[in-house]
Amino acid sequence: MASAPSKLYSDDVSLVVVLLDTNPFFWTTSSFSFSHFLSHVLAFLNAILTLNQLNQVVIIATGCNSCDYVYDSSKTANQSFGNGRMPTLCATLLQNLEEFMTKDEKLGIEEAEERITGSLLSGSLSMALCYIQRVFRSGSLHPQPRILCLQGSPDGPEQYVAIMNAIFSAQRSMVPIDSCYIGAQNSAFLQQASYITGGVHHKPQQLDGLFQYLLTIFATDLHSRSFVQLPKPVGVDFRASCFCHKNTIDMGYICSVCLSIFCTRHKKCSTCGSTFGQAQSDDASATNRKRKAPDS
Amino acid sequence: MPQVKIIAKNFMDMVASLTARDLDNLYQNPFICEAILRSLPPLAKKYVLQMLYIEGSVLAKSMEEWVLADGFTKHRVAIDRLVQLRIFSEEKKKETSYRLNPTFQTNLQKHLIYGGALPREPMPSNVTVRLPTLEELEAYALGQWECFLLQLISSAQAEKPTNFSSSMMKVFQRGLLTQRDKESPRLSESGFQFLLMDTSAQLWYIIREYISNSQERGVNQADLISFLLELSFHVAGEAYNVNTLSELQKNMIKDFADLGLVKLQQGRKDSWFIPTKLATSLSISLTDSSSRKEGFVVVETNFRIYAYSTSKLHCEILRLFSRIEYQLPNLIVGAITKESLYNAFDNGIAADQIIAFLQQNAHPRVAERIPSVPENVCDQDVFEAACDYARDRNGLLWEDSKKMRLAVKAETHTHMREFLRGQS
Repeated sequence: MASAPSKLYSDDVSLVVVLLDTNPFFWTTSSFSFSHFLSHVLAFLNAILTLNQLNQVVIIATGCNSCDYVYDSSKTANQSFGNGRMPTLCATLLQNLEEFMTKDEKLGIEEAEERITGSLLSGSLSMALCYIQRVFRSGSLHPQPRILCLQGSPDGPEQYVAIMNAIFSAQRSMVPIDSCYIGAQNSAFLQQASYITGGVHHKPQQLDGLFQYLLTIFATDLHSRSFVQLPKPVGVDFRASCFCHKNTIDMGYICSVCLSIFCTRHKKCSTCGSTFGQAQSDDASATNRKRKAPDS
Repeated sequence: MPQVKIIAKNFMDMVASLTARDLDNLYQNPFICEAILRSLPPLAKKYVLQMLYIEGSVLAKSMEEWVLADGFTKHRVAIDRLVQLRIFSEEKKKETSYRLNPTFQTNLQKHLIYGGALPREPMPSNVTVRLPTLEELEAYALGQWECFLLQLISSAQAEKPTNFSSSMMKVFQRGLLTQRDKESPRLSESGFQFLLMDTSAQLWYIIREYISNSQERGVNQADLISFLLELSFHVAGEAYNVNTLSELQKNMIKDFADLGLVKLQQGRKDSWFIPTKLATSLSISLTDSSSRKEGFVVVETNFRIYAYSTSKLHCEILRLFSRIEYQLPNLIVGAITKESLYNAFDNGIAADQIIAFLQQNAHPRVAERIPSVPENVCDQDVFEAACDYARDRNGLLWEDSKKMRLAVKAETHTHMREFLRGQS
């Protein structure tokens, strides 16, 4: 898998879509409190808005049952920009975030039997990409968008397909996905997302200095990235999840028609319905074998 | 061809040339810190952020490790800029190290965490009865600016004269017009180049002249600069009470209204000023951000130009390098011809300036396409410039403009080579 081709950027204007992990299951277990985390992130967002007047920040909250836009700097900028950006940013963001959390919690109660402790990263990634596509199509201005995932919850293997699809569409539209993982184990999904789309992945060693990490690494605009030293991927965890039990696996079976992944041997592909192995007619497999022979 | 170029974007050089005390005074105002930060090259911005919470100084050697090998020149430029503006102070003990200006540092820290408040609040809407919409305001600003430009290049053509005194106007015209005795003044080479620049660059040029002239009138440059930068953080379309301004600022705001930076309105009791987009985008245009306004020119491969514009000024600009064939209510049609190009070269306009103008102002329909100006038009422009150059030196022997070949005398050959290298 090659990294995304890099585009040429003429200036440092940037549109940053931040995906904020609000999963309560993670934040209650984490040693780093959510309010502490938010204070770092808010100052960071303000720094991005300070860097260039044309910079834009969009924040999408990633809950465990839903995700939603909680802040868009282009919408609030006109109202009371001059009265101090920071108070308005804080006020609107915190209010929207609180509304979102209560709504998200209610959704969780309704589906209590099947408790999922991961957060809905695939959903917020798709929302971010939709937003960026809309900006691309809305005019001739090129906003130079990038996505920043601030994720703490562990990977939800059940979202594997959706997340991979989002990653590939980000790669096609040349939108880098940066990721900053603040949980305990490193996230394979985020490593892959950043590697494939040409973004930066980093797992801060000391969370108390999160603001400095954010400023040093993730405030770098796409234009400067061609000549600034940034953390390089040491080793990317490329493991996939199987489609049948949603387990992360090292080795498995792959459908030759639709490339679905399974951890155990199946007779029939559950995704595309093609039958495997002996069940196929002998004639067909014989011609197949013949056709493949010269290649091997 | 003489290489007179108006350097437009050096407003920050002017700030950098202020005395150390003036600069430190400027940094007392958090908004100015922000404006200065925005004006820095991208790498310098990054360094400031990175150093923001570092109390001590950082070794120059370790800073060099922040960039990749091919970004080293950019690194030098960024550091030099920061030292020039006294944002970084250099410490030379055993090894060179840099530290952030403490005033600048604390102000920016506060600004990031608590936000800042402007010295004046927008007026409540019950006092200001009806404010112009943003569109009206933009039309007003552009109208005001074009009127000013027209007056600048030929005083006769302006429909309504601005309040600038004729002496002030003379200052603006100093670099742009030449006057041979008893003839009416005409545009100089730099004047032509000025007209081809984009609006923000033109605006900065004028403002720079305005500021450097202010010293002669006994106004402190730093005050002027700080007010201008502060103005860029006001909200376009909001009304601000004029009484919140100092006497000096009240005088300035009238001049700014003439340039289209603000609109002045008089209420029953109070009067107020409304900043326009031109004012609020001042701090954007300090950087090298590519121009982001909609163009109007379509160039065809047969050297015809269609300009969708009603502006008299645009017509005047196109006339600088093309033959205007007809003018319709919303369309100007012209052609780039050999004669019109030679005319332009005689006036000191370079081929790449013409091409840059056409590219910058390309109509959105053609701007999507790459290249936005047909290749053959660009090539022909450059070829004609080369011919002109050779002819000026009496070195041109033969030319074939269809196939774009030319022959020059042996002695002009090396000059020619250097000229062509400079073009591409």
